[in-house]
Amino acid sequence: MTQRDKFIKWCSYALAFLLVAGLENLVFARFPIYGVIPIMAPLAVVMVGVFEGSTAGAAFGIAAGAFCDAMYLHTNGGMTVACTLIGLFSGITTQYAFNATLMGGYICSVLALAGLDGVRVLWRLLGGAPLEGLLRIALPEVLYSLILVLPVYLIFRSVYRRVGGDRLA
Amino acid sequence: MKDFLRHNGILLLIAAVLLAAVVAIASALMPAAPTLLGNALGVIAAPLRAGVSTVAVWIQDQYNRSANYDALVEENQRLREENARLQREAREAVSDSKENEELRNLLELREKRREFSLESATILSRSATSWESSLTLSKGSIHDVEAGDCVIDSQGNLVGVVSEVGVNWCSVTTLLDPELEMGALIFRTDNAAILEGDFGLMPEGKLKLSYLPDNDQLISGDVVLTSGKGGVYPPRLMVGTVDEVRTEESGMSRYAVLTPAADLKSLTQVFIIKSFDIVE
Repeated sequence: MTQRDKFIKWCSYALAFLLVAGLENLVFARFPIYGVIPIMAPLAVVMVGVFEGSTAGAAFGIAAGAFCDAMYLHTNGGMTVACTLIGLFSGITTQYAFNATLMGGYICSVLALAGLDGVRVLWRLLGGAPLEGLLRIALPEVLYSLILVLPVYLIFRSVYRRVGGDRLA
Repeated sequence: MKDFLRHNGILLLIAAVLLAAVVAIASALMPAAPTLLGNALGVIAAPLRAGVSTVAVWIQDQYNRSANYDALVEENQRLREENARLQREAREAVSDSKENEELRNLLELREKRREFSLESATILSRSATSWESSLTLSKGSIHDVEAGDCVIDSQGNLVGVVSEVGVNWCSVTTLLDPELEMGALIFRTDNAAILEGDFGLMPEGKLKLSYLPDNDQLISGDVVLTSGKGGVYPPRLMVGTVDEVRTEESGMSRYAVLTPAADLKSLTQVFIIKSFDIVE
């Protein structure tokens, strides 16, 4: 692949990510269901890890996580670490355990969401927040986000089919 | 896999952790200031957010108009009756305040005043995660907005407190956010308590009034105001009304569940209190 091909490929993924982050920030954030907003940006990182492998997934995760840290309040760099790990392990999971299919994407998404909200719950639990209140946010949030795995998967699959892997080479 | 981690994964993780550490240290040193990247993104995103906000508000208005027509007619009737009652009370209040002024002069008390320096702002976006309740507004440091400024709606109800200020935008932590804690005053009993957000109540759009005095018998509908103790926040801003009183899981203390007076879901325009001068 030439440098130009790589540039086009990663610009396409970045645009797909911006679309997903835009939907999360500007649309879904305005219409919460039962008071919760779905997590979408980390799902985009999962899909890049699934389609492009662990190295690309982790690298994309760093950029996506830094973007999330800049967009969200009070994350203090946590999203950069979380998204890097999500990209890394999504890639490893699909490289060694599952195929880069919708099922693989779903399994990685479940693991990513559970890990992300698990850490959030644990962090706040250590801060003295009651578990019941935390679960009232975490469980509906994960369920709501899982519904959106399909559209995120389809967006990134369409990018992958056009410019992903070594297609432009 | 071991080769992979040795050659790529560890380096990527170190890079990510270093980047996260820089962001975390910057956030810790300057809690009210956004990172350079955050500020830049905020500036770039402000016009986009404003555009999306306009479209979203228009769609919401159209939906409300068609779906809630009957409720609006009913509310209109109720408001007409309330308006008539308030006009009656206002007429009585004019003579009362005249009498009050005469009595204050007689006692040589300082004149009461409540002066706010307000900055009108549009809501550009709302919090993008379920773990916090925040708003992004269209005014920032170039408009003299500072972290810690209170934000109210057009009726003077408290919305939240400015937590982060960018060049032409700022973030407001709303009343519902568990990060926010503030002194409160129960209007009927004149007792003090603490207002705080709660993870369990945040999805319902409610907040908690804790540290209730033992002898305080709160009833549903009791009005809660800001206490203003400490002089950081203005006193007597309307916060909300008591829904119910619950006992903590420990069984040792009670707390009240409040419904905020400000309609946080449908707000589009707010006012930032940049400074205040209150004598009571």
